[in-house]
Amino acid sequence: MESSYLIGSIVVATLATYATRIIPFLVFRNREPSPLIKYIELTMPVMIMVILVFYALKDVKWESYPYGLAEIIGVGIAIFLHVRFKNALLSIFVATLAYMILIQNVF
Amino acid sequence: MSFFTIVKLTIPVMMGYIPLGMAFGLLLAKLLIPWYYAFFMSVFIFAGSGQFLALTLFASQATILEIGIATFLLNLRHTFYGLSMISAFKDFSWKKHYLIFGLTDETFALLKTNEVDKNERERVYLWITFLNQCYWIIGSVAGAVLGNIVPFNYQGIEFSLTALFVVLSIELYTKNRLHKPFFVALIIGLFGMVFFPPQKMLILSLCLAAFVLIVFKRSMESGK
Repeated sequence: MESSYLIGSIVVATLATYATRIIPFLVFRNREPSPLIKYIELTMPVMIMVILVFYALKDVKWESYPYGLAEIIGVGIAIFLHVRFKNALLSIFVATLAYMILIQNVF
Repeated sequence: MSFFTIVKLTIPVMMGYIPLGMAFGLLLAKLLIPWYYAFFMSVFIFAGSGQFLALTLFASQATILEIGIATFLLNLRHTFYGLSMISAFKDFSWKKHYLIFGLTDETFALLKTNEVDKNERERVYLWITFLNQCYWIIGSVAGAVLGNIVPFNYQGIEFSLTALFVVLSIELYTKNRLHKPFFVALIIGLFGMVFFPPQKMLILSLCLAAFVLIVFKRSMESGK
């Protein structure tokens, strides 16, 4: 691949990515946040986070063996540990370890 | 907040970014692209799925314009993240441009969930963003340089990002006085996973969520 092509693409991809991140700051630069923006700031993050969970699971093959069982168990462990102990690192670490053991050795 | 505490906060992201970055680097090496492009892409673009997409487009010899448009559309979801960070970044110095630049899914998640005192918020946010980007750069360069020589079987470690999102959803649910958005998002997420095409699932679900939030504002804000 030619380096001019690669460099050009990287510059364009950089600008395109940065644009998506700066847009809201440019639009609302000189205004006090409106009640609507405050409402979105309050409610949108939890919705984004929940949707990201499903996004992370989008490539799971639910209809064939092992029917996403490793993912369900992993997510279940994370929920249980986090509700019970409220220690983010513990929940994430144990859930990930369990998931790795499951997909490497069981399924 | 001590530096050690900040590092501890970013460990879940490290566990996700290093192997994911390595996967990106491996793919880049397979396309016979020199390793330092992995470094430049992770320094300047810094968008996980965006960089994977770029590789796919390189492989199919897409034009630069196509690469620009596809990257923009794929990363459009970040606009929603910025929308919820406007007040938080408002009083920061010029350094906030780095925060805006580095607002990935995972960085957004950490910034939004952790309570930080107002007077040290800028410093903590900058460290979190910077550390996350370092993990991503280290992973992608390591993947590109090492090729297929990997010391241990890390298959499945990227699940740490899924677990991170689960944990942060619970945290935000507990902290927020409004509980309806959480349940609505469960329905939208499930619906999106089942019915939307996988590569457009995130942006479509987020648009749907924003739509529901605005149309049903009154009912969302009521207690029941």
